[in-house]
Parts: sequence; structure tokens; C-alpha cells
Amino acid sequence: MPDLSISVKLKYVKLGYQYLVNHILTLTLVSIMVGVVVEVLRLGPDEIVNLWTSLHLDFVQILCSSFFIIFIATVYFMSKPRSIYLVDYACYKPPVTCRVPFATFMEHSRLILINNPKSVEFQMRILERSGLGEETCLPPAIHYIPPTPTMEAARGEAELVIFSAMDSLFEKTGLKPKDIDILIVNCSLFSPTPSLSAMVINKYKMRSNVKSFNLSGMGCSAGLISIDLARDLLQLYPSSNAVVVSTEIITPNYYQGKERAMLLPNCLFRMGGAAILLSNRRSERWNAKYRLVHVVRTHKGSDDKAYRCVFEEEDKEGKVGISLSKDLMAIAGEALKSNITTIGPLVLPASEQLLFLLTLIGRKIFNPKLKPYIPDFKQAFEHFCIHAGGRAVIDELQKNLQLSAEHVEASRMTLHRFGNTSSSSLWYELSYIESKGRMKRGDRVWQIAFGSGFKCNSAVWKCNRTIKTPTDGPWVDCIGRYPVHIPEVVKL
Amino acid sequence: MVSPQQHHDHVYDLKLLSVGPGHVTGSDVVHDLTGLDLAMKLHYLKAVYLFSSHAAEGLTIMNMKEPMFCWCNDYFMTCGRIKRSEPSGRPYIKCNDCGIRVVEGVCDKTLDEWIEMEDGSRWNLLVYHRVIGPELSFSPLVYLQVTWFKCGGISLGISWAHLLGDAFSVSDFVNNWGRCMATLKANGSPTVAPRSQTTVPKPQPLSAKQVNHVGDLWVIANNCKMETFSFNLTTQHLSNLEDEHNPVSAFNLICALIWRSIAKFREGFEPQVVTVCRKDPNHDNNILGNTQVIRSIKADFSVVESDLNKLASLIAGDQNQGRDERNMIEASVEKDNGLTDYIIYGSNLTFVNLVNAGLYEMELKGKKPRFAYYSIQGVGDEGAVLVLPGPPPQGSTVIMAADEAIW
Repeated sequence: MPDLSISVKLKYVKLGYQYLVNHILTLTLVSIMVGVVVEVLRLGPDEIVNLWTSLHLDFVQILCSSFFIIFIATVYFMSKPRSIYLVDYACYKPPVTCRVPFATFMEHSRLILINNPKSVEFQMRILERSGLGEETCLPPAIHYIPPTPTMEAARGEAELVIFSAMDSLFEKTGLKPKDIDILIVNCSLFSPTPSLSAMVINKYKMRSNVKSFNLSGMGCSAGLISIDLARDLLQLYPSSNAVVVSTEIITPNYYQGKERAMLLPNCLFRMGGAAILLSNRRSERWNAKYRLVHVVRTHKGSDDKAYRCVFEEEDKEGKVGISLSKDLMAIAGEALKSNITTIGPLVLPASEQLLFLLTLIGRKIFNPKLKPYIPDFKQAFEHFCIHAGGRAVIDELQKNLQLSAEHVEASRMTLHRFGNTSSSSLWYELSYIESKGRMKRGDRVWQIAFGSGFKCNSAVWKCNRTIKTPTDGPWVDCIGRYPVHIPEVVKL
Repeated sequence: MVSPQQHHDHVYDLKLLSVGPGHVTGSDVVHDLTGLDLAMKLHYLKAVYLFSSHAAEGLTIMNMKEPMFCWCNDYFMTCGRIKRSEPSGRPYIKCNDCGIRVVEGVCDKTLDEWIEMEDGSRWNLLVYHRVIGPELSFSPLVYLQVTWFKCGGISLGISWAHLLGDAFSVSDFVNNWGRCMATLKANGSPTVAPRSQTTVPKPQPLSAKQVNHVGDLWVIANNCKMETFSFNLTTQHLSNLEDEHNPVSAFNLICALIWRSIAKFREGFEPQVVTVCRKDPNHDNNILGNTQVIRSIKADFSVVESDLNKLASLIAGDQNQGRDERNMIEASVEKDNGLTDYIIYGSNLTFVNLVNAGLYEMELKGKKPRFAYYSIQGVGDEGAVLVLPGPPPQGSTVIMAADEAIW
């Protein structure tokens, strides 16, 4: 089997190369130290003392040098950005009374769109290939035939989702509402007055000097934008807690018309929400779950096509819906490439960066037809959380980043069990990985989210302590059933 | 006969939603329909339970929904939809968790006013009913209507496809829901009636009549207009009847009386054969299926001139007159694999004994229903008579769906 032995040899060569380049600094230092020790041993103690006195160092010089070193060290430690810790997070688990099996969804569609059999047929085909399971949930108002999306119902859903997630977070972390210094709520499509952050402050009777922010209209990637905002604020305010609430309220946004491009979100978006506690306190260093390493945000809004590819507008009958353009996947691919170009140098090991640089030089100077080298991100991260925007998104990223089925398992299973919960899906995926007992200390996680605009945002976390399988959380009663095999087309 | 008033405004503000099982039933679970089930497919049962405001205090549709999901876990087959198997076209139920249709409504009358109203068709306003078809896979098998009355009382109206089970199954279904509401725990799945395959050819049943193919719209085509009428018999009435005609039971006497009256009215066309349905004494409670005993009774003598006692004892089947036709109906249907359409109720004058169906066992907040009313939707031309237990203290209600010409 010549092919097998060649590939095995190649694998070892590659491993050897990676080890060499990634640890070049260590190897160089070690060899220098070995050299010095050998030299010292050779010279003998007397020679060393002679060498020292011949330098003619006097007291002032020593004092100045040490002062200088201390000064540099202080400046370094003061200007180092504060470490941001993710203490814990909680995901909302919808009750079984909100469950929407495929058959019920289709029957309701059939009754609501009674004069548009083609639109019903379209929804059926989308649902069959969507990758969703039979346990995803919609809010109570949408269960009616026809749906009754009043503002009161929307507020009701917001209260249900957000308060449940926050209660769960308080219970897990022992946090008191009065200890929250920064509150950021992101919900793209529902923005009442007073804001959802004001609703939270009112419910939990938070302090009057809490710094609250409400991000709306920023799409599915708003979760990571909130994390970025929290990070910047935590750099400013020492010894503080920040709570980030990411959710999407479905009730007011269920499209009631018949345009196909706008019916797609109805098939995919489902109820969900998450509350995350971030802190910059030193005391959290030991019990926090993760440490935030990088956040990289990429915005392609300057390109008109990218700007219009996820667009909320009225259809011909005046019904408001979100229209998804056919170029969505191509634009997502472009945004991802931009994001990777920025994040690559920050996270990739030296071996990959060198290879990428060499192929880049090769393509530019020697042979333009040389295949571009796609860096192997599996070496930079142990876990991947890809926003569960839809089956196509996950397939596309799996292909582009050359990920294995296990790497995208968290994303696929979250899509199956919870549907597309928008900005909170990344947290359900992280919870899945923890529930499977795969999160070990030192593991690096890459969260990637796409959103309208068009934006691609990434966050990199490092696991602070090995996480025991949680006894609560959204996966606790069903993790045993996962992973499930999701067929290409489900027979309805 | 009182002409029906315009009732369509009394119950209004109808809101529809679906309630299904909380647990995923699974992707390939089916509920097969026996020959007897298929013979009943053109009939529907309607049940109404009225509860006073004490029993309904604090109830909202939200707090009724959660126990319903629990209850539907046990009754997942009622949440499925009809599909036809390939290539035979025989209908079966695919248990796809689609759900039962729940309807909320408001009524502008109080319970007392409602009970005192005279129009027999008013009960239809409390039961949201649609027939199965023309799209079989989008037709719910069970509808549940919750109507709030002006006085705070509520009514629960169930429309149930007879192919799922008989009135005794419906009563169990409702009683189980009452238990789920009280304890928020499932009572345990109902036992599904055994599916038996009878391949031995049997003679044609008298109680089942073939009808023209209905295709995918499961509704009976009547040749005459049908109306529903009911009257109450007090305990006094019943004890008088029984005293006079000891030792025959009240049900048989009522049936005999009605049979004779109808025969008198239809001079020259008096019904010689009747069908009598009653609970199978061999079956336990909590069974889902068409298990009731269906007997056809033939009178060799003139019904009009007969003695009441003689007619009543014929109906009672004391000397084994009349034959249990369940197996015969099953065999007839299986002969062509369920492709022929039949009717049972109304193929002959049919009497259904629901006196021991447990209609008053359902409890809401520990209180029994003020009134329970069952009727059959979809009855053949010969008509049907249901004898129900009255509200405690026991009396009886008799409900008849019959040819309007009789009135």
C-alpha cells in the first residue's frame, strides 16, 4: 500500500514541521540556555567572578538599570488590557406547550395560506430540508390560526424568555441584581419603548447607576456585538459585572403574507434566548468558565449587494417580512473570508501562518495558479460554534474551513433541537459541547455569527477550568438522544 | 315544533389553535384502523360538558393547555392524521403529533339560560365540528371547544371521529383529561382495543348498510332532512315506568316505547329491524376503540300492536334474540380491504345505551359537570336514539337524531 505509507510519512513530516515552527522560540531559548550552562560549567566559578568584576559596575548604574526594568514592567502590566471572564451563562428552555411539530406547522400554514397552495408547497419543501427537528418552539401567540401578534403578546414573550434566562443565571452564579454594573440587551426585531433593558431593570429592581444599553436591528450577529461592547466597557470600569442578554422575539415578526422569499424565516426562526455574565474582577479568575481572548468584527455594509441581502420590507400587499436574497451564501462566504483574514494572524500557530505566507508569496511572485492555502483552523481551536442560521450556512462553513462532522455537531444539533434562535444560538451550541463533557481546561472555542448588514463577527474564548456535565440547562433532558442523524430530506 | 331561532350570535369570538403531545411520538408510529373502525368512519360523536362557575373558577386557556399536552402524550393517536396506505388505499392514522384542534369561544348567556333554551340545535354552537376531508391529512380527528359563559361557567365541547372509538372511549378520554387537570400527571395510556383479523367469511350484517363511495369527504348523504331533539325523563318518570313493567329495565322500556311510536307514525313502513348498541361488559374501562356491542334485533310480529313488555324484552335480548354483529361487520369491511363505505347508526333505527358510560365522572376542581350531553353527527335516514344518564340525582335524557318528517 504505497499510498497509505506515503500519506502516513507525510503526516509525520507535517507534525514534525508544526512542532518545530510552533515552538521555535522555546527551542531557541532552550538551546541558548543549554549553551550558557555548558559554558558556565566549563569556565568554573572563579572565572565567572573575574568576568563580573571586569564589568566595573558601580552602585548607581545597578540602581538605574533595576529602576528602568521595574518601570518597564509596571508600564507593561498597567497597559495590559483587563482580562474579561465569562463567569457563567444560562439558556432559555421553552416549555413543551410551545412545541411545534412539522405536521402542525404545515397544517396551520395550509389553513392560513388557504388561497396560495404554491406557497404552502414551498414551505413544506423548506421544512423538509431545513435540518430542524420536531421539538422546536414558537411563542403562544403564533400557535393561533391565524396568529395573534399583538404588542402585548410580544411583550409577554419577551418577559417569558428574558426573565426565565435571567432567573436561571442568577441561580447558577449566585449573582444579586443589585450587583450588576452593566446591562446589555440585544433583540433585533422587537424594540418597544421603554426598551427591553428598561424592562429588565424594572423587573429586577437594579441600581439607579447601572449602565444599560439596548441594541436593536443588528441581526443574528448582535450577540457578539454585545459581548464586544461589554468588553470595551469592562476595560473602562474596574472591578465590574456585566450581564448580556441575547434573544430574538418572534411574535411581532411572523410573516403573514405569501411571498416565498419572506416565508423562509417563518420556517426557521424559533423561540430562544440566553443571559451571560461577564466580569473583570480578579476574584472570578478561578471559578469563571471562560476567558475572552479576541473579538473580531467584519462589516460588509459598504457593498450594496451585501447591504440588501437580508432586508426587512413590505411585500406587494403591505405585509412586512424579511426578504432573503439568493446571493446570501455567496455574500456570507465573502464576509467569512474577510473575518478569517483578520482573525487568522491572531490565533493561528506560527506553522500555519508561515505556510500561508509562503503560498501567498508563491502565488504573487512565482505562480499565480498555485492553489491558495487554506489555513487549518482546527489547529487553533478545539471547538467551533457556528451560528445555526440554517443548514446551508453550516454546510458552507464546514466546507470552507474543512471541518469534520464532529466539529460542526454542536451547530447541527442545536439547529435540530432549537431551530434558528438567532443571536442566542451560539450559547445553545456552547451548552451542547459542555453537556457532552467535551470542554476541557485550555480548550479554545471559536464562535462565528453572521447577521444582516452584512456582518460576520467572531469571538474566541479560552476555557478556564474543565467543565463538569451540567445538571441543568436546555440539553439536560435530551442530551442522551444526541447526536441524531439528520436526513437530507425528512419525509413529512 | 319550535322553529330554530337565529343562534349564530350567541357564541362568538372563536379562536383556534392546536394542542399536541409534549413528547415526540416518533417518526414511524401508526395506528391501524380495524374493519369496525372503518365502518364507523362516516359518524362523529359530539359531547358537551357544562360546568358551573365554581368548578371553572380561575381557569384560563393557558392553565388548561399544560395538562392537555400531558394528556395528549397518552392519546397521541387522536393527534394524528388519516393517510391512505399504498397501494391498497386503506386509511390508517399516522401519529405525527399534529394535534387536536382547540377552539376558545365566549357565550353571551348564562348557564341557566342556556339549559332552559328550547332549541335542540343550540348544542352545535358549543361544539366546533368539521368533517374529515377533502384533504384527509389536514383534517383533525378531534376538536375541543372551550366556551366561557356570562355567569363564569364553562362548557367543554368535543367533536370526535367515531373511527377512533365509541362513546365509551370518549367518556374515558374526557375523564382522563379531568384527572390530568387535577394532578398534572398522565393517567397512563389507554389500552387500544385489540385488532383482530377475521378471515372466516360471515353472513351480511343487518346493522351495517353500504353507501355510495364518499371518496375523501367523509360525510353521510341523507335523503331527508335530519333534526336532533331531546327530552328529559325525571327519576319519577323512570320509577313509574319500571314499577309498571317490572322486571324490565328503563332503557329497554324507553326504546320499546319509541320503537312503537315511530312504527305507529310510519304506517305501512314500520321498522321491523332495529340496532341496539351498548357497552361490552367484558371490557374494562380506559379502552380506546370501537368495542361497543352492536346487536340487530328483528321483530317477527307487528310492532304497532305489540305489548310493551314483549317489545322491551326483545330489545333486552333475554332469550338471545338478536345477534352481536361486530364480527360480521368486521368481516364485511375486510372483504374488500376497507374500500366500501358503510354506515351503522341510522342504517336501521338505532338505540344507543349510554346510561353506564360514566358521563358524570369527569371532575373539574373536584366538581362534577352540571350537565352532559352526547349526540351523533352523521346519522343515516332511519335515525338514532341515545339514552343518556341525567345529571345527579339520576334521571335520564333521551336524544334523538331523526327524520324531521316525524315532527
